[in-house]
Amino acid sequence: MKAGTPAGLIGTTAFQGLAVSELAALGVSGLPLLVVQHPLGGERPESVARRAHQALEQLTSLIGSPAAQDEIGRAAATRSSLSPPTVESALAALDTVDDPEAVLAEFVARQWCDGLPIIPPTEARVRALLGGAPPDRSLGPLPPLWRTATLEALAVNAVMAGCEPAAFPVLVAAVRAMLDPAFNLYGVQATTHPVAPLVIVHGPVAARIGVHAGSGCFGPGFRANATIGRALRLILMNVGGAWPGRHDMATQGSPAKFAYCIAEHVDASPWGPLRADDSVTVFGGEPPHNVNDHVSTTAAGILATVADTAVSLGSNVGWFLAQSQLLLVLGPEHAATIAGDGFSRTDVQRYVFEHARLPLRTLKLGGMWGMQDWPASLRAVQDDDALLPQVPSPDDVLVIVAGGPGKHSSVVPNCTFSRAVSRPVEPLT
Amino acid sequence: MTRIRVLSPVSAVRSENLAAPPLPDDWAGRTVGFIDNTKHNFDRLADELGALLRARYGVTAVLRRRKANAAVAAPPELVAELAQACDVVFTGSGD
Repeated sequence: MKAGTPAGLIGTTAFQGLAVSELAALGVSGLPLLVVQHPLGGERPESVARRAHQALEQLTSLIGSPAAQDEIGRAAATRSSLSPPTVESALAALDTVDDPEAVLAEFVARQWCDGLPIIPPTEARVRALLGGAPPDRSLGPLPPLWRTATLEALAVNAVMAGCEPAAFPVLVAAVRAMLDPAFNLYGVQATTHPVAPLVIVHGPVAARIGVHAGSGCFGPGFRANATIGRALRLILMNVGGAWPGRHDMATQGSPAKFAYCIAEHVDASPWGPLRADDSVTVFGGEPPHNVNDHVSTTAAGILATVADTAVSLGSNVGWFLAQSQLLLVLGPEHAATIAGDGFSRTDVQRYVFEHARLPLRTLKLGGMWGMQDWPASLRAVQDDDALLPQVPSPDDVLVIVAGGPGKHSSVVPNCTFSRAVSRPVEPLT
Repeated sequence: MTRIRVLSPVSAVRSENLAAPPLPDDWAGRTVGFIDNTKHNFDRLADELGALLRARYGVTAVLRRRKANAAVAAPPELVAELAQACDVVFTGSGD
């Protein structure tokens, strides 16, 4: 459209709310939007043909009448019961009764929180969290509604989540990392996949602010893990605008969308940390997939279980090969067994790269067969028994150690279109 | 009961408004393009709609180009090609 050629969108009813909001946020509300019945994918040819007729009927009502085009555009917006709430400035204030239940009710009614109780973000609390950092400093617009991620807006959400001031620079680093194009935050926010950004905190800052890396690190009980993870989700919902079913189109979502933040258990890692500096890595991942191996006494045994857990027809990993990644979160006991056989971190990466594979015949059964984005070397494979890689290289198998005693590890597959990004944790003043 | 003042967690949008070029009045002899977002059946939908546009409106050519995958934007060269070759371009959005 910027080139001057008339343009339009075709989408389904389920995605109409996202399309309307997105066009408005980008300042192109007038763009024609043809809405066909959802779903389109998985339908038989005759159903697709009916949808083509739906699109044609809408186009017919638009052609040759700019007024009609405007009318249709407005109708699309008003037909949708999923229209977003009025956009308000982060500086906008709400006066309410000073009572925890009343404050929660106000925030729930405005779709300003995740459903759990919040700390009321008074100006004094927000200033205290900012600690002298410039409130107007912007990290950039956050998709899918492209609202401005000022430090003040981040701080309001951090207060709500219960963050302590010492954790705020970690949160800011995580948002900076998510804004790297390689992370594809628009895709992470709007996809039907259940992806949530996992925040991994590296370096001495993790222990300083209390990010837990031991027993139950993915679970409850630890304020820094819970509140950094929760604050990030509130930012994605309130600043980014990803409300479930409207702009966050996750079919089912996941519990990891409430909070997803851990640290590396450096003392338990035979290979040292993935990163030693004060920094964060954001990884657009599924919830952890459990790796239960109570019997293996060798690296090959543990990693066979890891590799088997890492691949399945239902996983997104592998279909968009260049962007696919696997994160291994090895429990300390599994890591010790693997290292006991002389495996370095690089050896683990290579072993999993070479063994976490599926045969072509299995991939042909479903999943995203026909939609894959593969290099020529994979597209050329004819042998149905050929085992195909799920990530492009050993470097796309990330390995960290976390957790406590026990014979469990985790594999976290990425959402296949978002790559891990790291950023240093820096002072904000 | 005492009152409390809290800040909104919602930030502001900063965007310029762009005018969308109107669709043509007469589609006879025109070329229509589709950007296939790779979602299942979009190619079939585009082909069906293209055939209807040829039959009903005298569209003479329909181009369909596929981007790499649904999660990334169409590359600039693909957009430039369709903008150059087509009178109207439709893109698939969502599932």
